[in-house]
Amino acid sequence: MKRTHALAAFSAALVVAGVSGCTAAGGDDGTDGPVTISIMETKQTNIDAINKVIPGFEAEMAKQGKDIKVDLIADQLTDEQFKTKMTQQLVAGQAPDVLDIGENMAIAWSAAGYLTPLDEYLEKWDGWSHYYPAVKEAITRQDGHVYNLPSGAGVQNFFFRKDVLEEVGVETSQPETWDELIDRLVQVKEATGDTPIVIPAGTAWGGGTWNEGFQPLLGGTDTEYYDRDSATWNLQSPGWLAVFELYDELVSKGLMPVEDLQNPNPWEPTKYVKFPAGDIQVAAQGTWGWRFDWGPEGATPIEGLDEKVSTWQYPALAAGDQPYGWSSTGGGYAIPEKSEKKEAAMEFIKYLSSGKPLAEQLTASGAASARDDLDDVAPYSEEPHLLQAGKDLADSVYVVTGDGADQIAQAVSTATEKILSGEADGRQAYESFVKDATDLLGPSLVKQ
Amino acid sequence: MTTIVDLPAAAQDATRQPARRRRRVRSTWPIVAVLLGPSAILISLFIVLPAVYGLWLSLTNTQLTGFAARDPKFVGLDNYVYLLTSSDFLASLGQTGTFLLFSAIIGQTVLGMVAAILLSRPWVRGKGVFGAAILMPMVVPEVVASLAWASVLATSPEGTLNRLTSLFGAEPTSWLQTVPMVAIILVNVWRGLAFAMIMFQAALEDVPVELIEAARVDGASATQVFRHVTLPLIRGPVFLYLLLTTISTVGVFGLVYFLTRGGPGGQTRLAAIYIYERALQFSQIGIGSAASIILLVIVLVLGVVYVRLAKVKV
Repeated sequence: MKRTHALAAFSAALVVAGVSGCTAAGGDDGTDGPVTISIMETKQTNIDAINKVIPGFEAEMAKQGKDIKVDLIADQLTDEQFKTKMTQQLVAGQAPDVLDIGENMAIAWSAAGYLTPLDEYLEKWDGWSHYYPAVKEAITRQDGHVYNLPSGAGVQNFFFRKDVLEEVGVETSQPETWDELIDRLVQVKEATGDTPIVIPAGTAWGGGTWNEGFQPLLGGTDTEYYDRDSATWNLQSPGWLAVFELYDELVSKGLMPVEDLQNPNPWEPTKYVKFPAGDIQVAAQGTWGWRFDWGPEGATPIEGLDEKVSTWQYPALAAGDQPYGWSSTGGGYAIPEKSEKKEAAMEFIKYLSSGKPLAEQLTASGAASARDDLDDVAPYSEEPHLLQAGKDLADSVYVVTGDGADQIAQAVSTATEKILSGEADGRQAYESFVKDATDLLGPSLVKQ
Repeated sequence: MTTIVDLPAAAQDATRQPARRRRRVRSTWPIVAVLLGPSAILISLFIVLPAVYGLWLSLTNTQLTGFAARDPKFVGLDNYVYLLTSSDFLASLGQTGTFLLFSAIIGQTVLGMVAAILLSRPWVRGKGVFGAAILMPMVVPEVVASLAWASVLATSPEGTLNRLTSLFGAEPTSWLQTVPMVAIILVNVWRGLAFAMIMFQAALEDVPVELIEAARVDGASATQVFRHVTLPLIRGPVFLYLLLTTISTVGVFGLVYFLTRGGPGGQTRLAAIYIYERALQFSQIGIGSAASIILLVIVLVLGVVYVRLAKVKV
């Protein structure tokens, strides 16, 4: 009996010691004394860029009498993996103090209440007045608050292999309509035997199918697919069917690399192998292609990039449309609602979003500035492609959406997968999309 | 008037025994509580509680993202009705059934039995090498195994299988695109074969040699000996293995997800992948939980069937 009681007491002591140990492990609250904030980056270029600016930030804070340290969590993940992982951490209150997120994540997480509204901080910050009005509009969520500050902006266009097209005698001027572009793609296919164009599609590409593939095509021909006033998705808007039929035409004519698109990590064989090799000649791609994907320090550098590659705007899909670029400005830095170091985190975000630190990040990732006062700041000022993209932002098309973007992305990827696998034509894919999207969104998010 | 009758000694002893047992129980319960307590707490915390919570979630429209995440509501059996009328979910159950039948029940079990029988033959040479070769897939971590197979089945001409087929003049094939289900079945057979072999080998060693020799003396062929002597004697371990492999195969996720992500066109979207997509990628925890409960019920039913067929105590 005595031994039993001793064992029980020992177990209880262990539990108490564990609990008190956990309590004692708590730390600073972000207001007094030294503060360590954490930021997570998932792309090597961003990891390098943030690593580079951290010492400057810490020194700057020290000058202001604040002892703030930054812990960079470098974890190379795809956007889908990051979203899945971070959603769990946000729910559990374990997320880093500063997040670098995409637009769909910003929409989904702000609606769920996981992110801190930044309005009060931004009103007190003079840098906020330098953001383009269109950018401010794009990042204002449907509850009227701003939850993320753009780390950069981009314009999505078609990057094409000028050298290959010239070699096979195909016209390289801006195609005005999709019919014109498809004629050229058919010529390239006949000359090379390749599948000449890659546009994100299917489930393997994850959220990119919607963000970088379908939405830029849809937004150029139809801006009514999301109704901001009622915060609902208009699934009957005519652009949906037109874009599904375009995908179908590209697939049925053998112009898209269907097998590659159905593989895990479809961007690897397409954008990182075949486009650099000249075996895919046209790719839907954002400004970051100049640096992040194919730049000298990018994922797969293309030697002589400026001579070999050029860009077209998206051609017109329907009668009356004009060629256009699609801007993407919706993501950026955010602070979790459960962070206990919001003040310090905001200081870091402001530092990252100003002057030279911002110029260095934009240059590293190949993004345009969302601010009007950066064109003269090196090294950004030395990047003609990025400066041009910044100018193009003003004329680019963008449709602000809201809650449900994730579900739409899911339904679009499933429906385009059916086109890739030959299971559905354009209309059938559209019908399947409407059914899935209606199921996933629920009645409150679908325009009646 | 009360008559006192002396009970026989044995009867007196019998009446004393429950009291003594009660005293013994009373005196040992603290040690029993201390010994069983931690495991009972752990089982409650990490198995019972999550299962009950999962059941509750399956009856709600809980989501992790969007405005719906702020205010989950009780929806009764809506998630179950949705799933049981969803062609995608039913297709994933069908694919899980195909995967289970061909990779675990037929592939692993039959080949595991063949390997075990071969290794039990005294005339077989190089048993050590053979056994090690079969055991190797089991000790390799899942991610490493997936990477190895991704390389074997790679689309490019450099893929190992394409190199082999090119020796016969064949063009490179995208194995994971053209025959995705066959590919993942083969990979799972490869991975699970060792466990089957070990279990069957142990069972075969317990079969009395005299019975086999007696059957042979009576003129039974090798097939007849196996069919009528060996197999009935190892029925228990065989069904136990079937139970275990069913549970583990229905739960296979990493091996398949890494190779195909459930594609192409959902052709290898096993139930576990469907649940992952719904619950974690699309943040629909309510629907994901309901799908998990349905899968749990299916596995339980299969488990009961196996146990009944084997008439073994588990």
